[in-house]
Amino acid sequence: MTRGMVIDLEKCIGCRSCVVACKQHNAQPAGNWWNRVFTPGSNHHLTPPEKGEEYFLPVHCQHCRNAPCEKVCPVGATYRHDDGSILVDFERCIGCRYCMAACPYGVRQFNWEDPKKTMKQYEYQNGYSYGYPRDFRLNGRLVYMPSRFKGVVEKCNFCVHYLDKGLDPACVRGCPGKARHVGDLDDPDSNVSIMIREKNGFNLLPEKGTEPTVFYLPPKRKEV
Amino acid sequence: MTNSKKIGFLVTGLLMVAGFLAWIYQYKEGLVLTDMRNSYSWGLYVSGLAFFVGNAAGGLVLSSLIYLFGVKSLKPFAKIGALTAFANVTAAMFSILPDIGQPIRLYNMILHPNFYSPLIWDVIVLNLYAVLSLLYLYILMLPDFKGPLTKIALKVDQPKEFSETWAKGLAPFSLVAAIGIHVITAWIFATQGGRDWWNSAVLAPDFIAVAVASGTAVVFIVSLLTYGHKYEHQEAYRSMAIIIATAYFIHIFFMYNDFIIHYWYGAKEALETLSITFIDYGLTHAFEVVAPLAAVILLLNKKIRQSSGVMIASCILLILGVFAHRFLLMPAAFDKIQLSMNPLGLQHIYWSVPIASGRYDPFIDTFVTKWHYFPSGIEITIFLGVLAFMCFVVLVAMDRFPIAGEVES
Repeated sequence: MTRGMVIDLEKCIGCRSCVVACKQHNAQPAGNWWNRVFTPGSNHHLTPPEKGEEYFLPVHCQHCRNAPCEKVCPVGATYRHDDGSILVDFERCIGCRYCMAACPYGVRQFNWEDPKKTMKQYEYQNGYSYGYPRDFRLNGRLVYMPSRFKGVVEKCNFCVHYLDKGLDPACVRGCPGKARHVGDLDDPDSNVSIMIREKNGFNLLPEKGTEPTVFYLPPKRKEV
Repeated sequence: MTNSKKIGFLVTGLLMVAGFLAWIYQYKEGLVLTDMRNSYSWGLYVSGLAFFVGNAAGGLVLSSLIYLFGVKSLKPFAKIGALTAFANVTAAMFSILPDIGQPIRLYNMILHPNFYSPLIWDVIVLNLYAVLSLLYLYILMLPDFKGPLTKIALKVDQPKEFSETWAKGLAPFSLVAAIGIHVITAWIFATQGGRDWWNSAVLAPDFIAVAVASGTAVVFIVSLLTYGHKYEHQEAYRSMAIIIATAYFIHIFFMYNDFIIHYWYGAKEALETLSITFIDYGLTHAFEVVAPLAAVILLLNKKIRQSSGVMIASCILLILGVFAHRFLLMPAAFDKIQLSMNPLGLQHIYWSVPIASGRYDPFIDTFVTKWHYFPSGIEITIFLGVLAFMCFVVLVAMDRFPIAGEVES
């Protein structure tokens, strides 16, 4: 099976709940964001474009079938799970950032300093902290930890720690517009396969040959 | 020990200590001390890798020219070539070390190597090259070991013949290894379809051309410092000048060949990388072309070749130009957001998706589409430390080992 995601841009209301859910559930340190929602054409982040109608584009790891990050990793810290998702083993990563140079989507994030230190910069009240609190190992490999090591790369792990409990990723569960769907791309009758087929699903940067497993459904409102 | 040598040891020694302390500090605090960001994830350290790998070429290319192609006039410089090759390839590895976020875990490269990664190939070939150049140097020095050094000499009946035979035997392997380090270092970049600036079939041949120019220039400098502009070496200096000039012109041809093809077709992605190089970094680009050109014109002049000072200055100018070239590997790759598009329904807008910077700053936006990188003080100090290490290795070896030995006809 290949676990894939479909994001319906028609349904996306641009509330960025998925961004927040992702940030919080995965305990991302200050300055790092695994998931972002953009307003294409705008001059400044989080503002509507000057011309045309606004639509929203969520971007995170595309879990490519031909993933350059997986191929360049000298130590196999970035690797492919059985369901096709691309994971990072935080214990193995040496921090060479070759994967960041290789990724055409700019979704990989680096821990430039100790995340504990950067979290302090937020100055949360009463030491408030967020994130799934326990380490998660998949076949012995550390693919989620609430506080990452300094000097390692991190990115969307398809909420592998929730999959284990039978839960969908945080961004899917947290989407109020029901714009996000997960399912088996190998099964032609799965919800995602039907949506991609019937609603002209597309990938980002298809010309790069990365074959993402994240598909987008085009928005109808696109008239200027 | 002469005064100039003492100053050399002192300066390189101090810079090495400063660089090492800066690295310790960076190791403690994290790469936050550099000017790199998530969007601009490689900087001076990786440029340094390409720069030193290039400088390492001359040595063994020169040595193999002597033994494979019979350019006899270069023979007195074979040992210098092997030495600068060793010093620079080691410096290349030290240059990349501070770029590693978790250097303690480097053993994972041995325990869990991913043989699909060009970085693993590079680590293997660089280490191989370091061993090979050291071995080559040892074999070349063998007949000249005297005094206390005889202890490290291999006991053979006829050291001269032994040295000659083995040097000849190693030459083809050296040539392959020398070419290998440039091709594979280039492949680290050229294989990346995600970065239009690097993703070119001409990058690997161009790396060889640049390396032959800068590597020979390094040998040239050390030779001049050792032998001066003696009459009997004029022939060799002429050969080196011609090698440097030819390699430089091939490099310019490769580089502009690539630019013209992309400029003519005029795809937005390619025009953007070109505009970064030609407009944002226009002066640096002008320097990387003009400085080596001036150096080459000077070196090809017979009268100029009567002066050690001018020849050394020309070689330094050429190497500085090559350094600028290596620095420019990064801006056009990282100042451009790969995920750029024409937003639906909007014509004439080519829009780049911002990237989280990875740094938290209460006063500036977390998301960036452009980051004008300039190496931080820590990065520059570490880089200078590595450069000093390379010079230090050459100085010590020239001082302690029979490398500058008397010339035989």
